[in-house]
Amino acid sequence: MIDTIATVESNLELTPGYKLLTLNFKEAIAAKAGQFAMLKAHDTFEPLLRRALAIYRIENSNQLSFLYQVLGRGTQMLSHLDSGGKVDILLPLGNCWLDEPLQKTGLGSKALVVAGGIGSASVYLLCQELQRRQIETQIFFGAANRKVATGCGLDDFKKLALPITLTTDDGSLGERGFVTAPLEKFLREGKGENATIYTCGPWVMMKRVAEIAEGFAIKCLASLEAPMGCGFGVCVGCVVAIKDADAKSYQAYQRVCTDGSIFPAEIIRWEVTAMAH
Amino acid sequence: MSDNQSAIRISQSAIEASAIERLAVEIAGIKLKNPVMGASGTFGYGLEFAGLIDLNRLGGFSTKGLSARPLPGNIPTRIVETHGGMLNAIGLQNVGARAFVEEKLPLLRKYDTQVIANVFGYSDEDYLEAIQILNDGEGIAAYELNISCPNVKEGGIVIGSSPLAAAKLTEKARRAAQRPLIVKLSPNVTDIKELARAIVDAGADALSLINTLVGMAIDIHSRKPHLNFGTGGLSGPAIKPIAVRMVYEVASTVSVPLIGIGGIASAADALEFIIAGATAVQIGTANYYDPSVTMKTIDELADYCNQHSTTMQSLIGSVNRN
Ligand SMILES: Cc1cc2nc3c(=O)[nH]c(=O)nc-3n(C[C@H](O)[C@H](O)[C@H](O)COP(=O)(O)OP(=O)(O)OC[C@H]3O[C@@H](n4cnc5c(N)ncnc54)[C@H](O)[C@@H]3O)c2cc1C
Ligand SMILES: Cc1cc2nc3c(=O)[nH]c(=O)nc-3n(C[C@H](O)[C@H](O)[C@H](O)COP(=O)(O)O)c2cc1C
Ligand code: FES
Repeated sequence: MIDTIATVESNLELTPGYKLLTLNFKEAIAAKAGQFAMLKAHDTFEPLLRRALAIYRIENSNQLSFLYQVLGRGTQMLSHLDSGGKVDILLPLGNCWLDEPLQKTGLGSKALVVAGGIGSASVYLLCQELQRRQIETQIFFGAANRKVATGCGLDDFKKLALPITLTTDDGSLGERGFVTAPLEKFLREGKGENATIYTCGPWVMMKRVAEIAEGFAIKCLASLEAPMGCGFGVCVGCVVAIKDADAKSYQAYQRVCTDGSIFPAEIIRWEVTAMAH
Repeated sequence: MSDNQSAIRISQSAIEASAIERLAVEIAGIKLKNPVMGASGTFGYGLEFAGLIDLNRLGGFSTKGLSARPLPGNIPTRIVETHGGMLNAIGLQNVGARAFVEEKLPLLRKYDTQVIANVFGYSDEDYLEAIQILNDGEGIAAYELNISCPNVKEGGIVIGSSPLAAAKLTEKARRAAQRPLIVKLSPNVTDIKELARAIVDAGADALSLINTLVGMAIDIHSRKPHLNFGTGGLSGPAIKPIAVRMVYEVASTVSVPLIGIGGIASAADALEFIIAGATAVQIGTANYYDPSVTMKTIDELADYCNQHSTTMQSLIGSVNRN
């Protein structure tokens, strides 16, 4: 874990409201697929807290990129940074998609990656890594519309040359509807044997993916989101409710930042955390 | 070694020694190498910071509130950022006093810093039980009684806002505690001086103040409170002037040492509290967005003392009244 000041290489708008921030680091950063960072503009105290962003791309050991949606004060503040600007950043944080103990039972022979909206940011490195390991991979990429799909890095995903199924809510690109529909169809056709699902996206989407996975008895890992105070395990603000834990025990909740952000979907009590996102 | 070199070495160590002396303070017999501590609930069990800062340089820290039994805490969402601060309703999730003694303390003993066990319960009996368990713990410097957490449905807030209830608990805790007893005051009261006086009369060795202020934030789209609990505790720079005022008022009311808390994020902030009458300070929320804020504050305090040729000790309560 490094707490440092990084310099902005570029901060490109992919589509209105979606930007790609590339940062240069003085030191080499050893980050893995699925990990995230806590960052904010250097010396800015309004807002106060850093914001969590997934590590989207590793350009080289001293340069990382972050793909983000401009939502509220924190991401707006980031969106105003220009080349040469400074960022306070703590990283790498959280666990990784392909590491023990998440992969206790070993990698499935097939990977189904389900990305919803800006959740794509957390799975791009995963797709790259799956490809490198020559694991058969099918991507399900869902976004609100064509513009948002571009903002969520669709062009990068396409360049990977992995099979990709696209959906948009309004049908402006790919199939019309939610990304969970083609996933379900795929599994109903019996193509999910020995597969692992990797998902990141809006809470309701991940909840649905988890249900589908359970229905087909397929292992599912989900990268969760929660408002974060610190990102390194001290504030206990970012917790999610865990199934089968004694409701009165300390284990009833786990921290998204240090126990996750990636969790086996079946241990999460999805109904408890009613995240707005 | 030449005479010249040894002379340089001696004068360097003299400077170092004087720097150490300049920052040192004492609270209820506990010697702190500097007045900077981590505040309860924002510093975990200290160990979370081990890879980020040098815990040996820290004056001390107060643990996450420990209860007799482990507690799960509140249903999320538990935190939301507000202007200049944040609201939290963690609900005192903690590993429990026993696990702290058995699992955390042995690791903490490797560090040369003062560990204050922050104690919480739902009833007087709960508090006393937690203290009994912690009495077994080797390496705890003092207890800090949290009688002021606004984020639990029963307990804390009732005790913390009634001078009578707070005094009764303090008296019992003082008897049960085998270590110095610091009582942490709630700002959610009409008259902090009255509360402080009652608690000191009941035997508290020191006071820390303030805990978070009860606040609320509402999502205008869903029209629901942002926090599942409804209300939460406000912390961060937004509360600093209130905290400084309360330290100032309490300092002129009681004569036990005070620990100032509330929105501290730099040496300048810490100095306000010390000049207002605090002997030491605890840094809370700032640790979240700047994990090395305690280290920077110590360095800046040392610079201040050097520049002004002064010591922490002589700054305590040195406010100039016009
Ligand atoms: C592990 C992790 C990885 C993430 N990766 C990305 C990413 O790669 N790209 C991206 O665009 N977004 C990502 N997010 C979501 C991103 O953190 C939020 O969109 C951002 O914090 C919103 O901040 P804001 O100031 O713009 O909005 P505000 O609404 O002003 O934020 C207020 C508070 O709520 C919290 N918050 C608000 N929305 C979210 C949310 N969706 N998730 C978590 N906290 C939230 C913020 O941390 C902040 O404390 C990630 C979140 C987590 C937890
Ligand atoms: C997330 C969070 C959890 C806290 N938990 C505790 C606690 O367990 N016990 C306690 O006495 N104070 C607790 N506090 C209060 C802090 O110790 C401190 O009094 C308060 O946050 C004001 O200081 P600050 O503005 O520097 O954060 C908590 C504060 C926060 C933000
Ligand atoms: S964000 Fe603070 S514990 Fe996870």
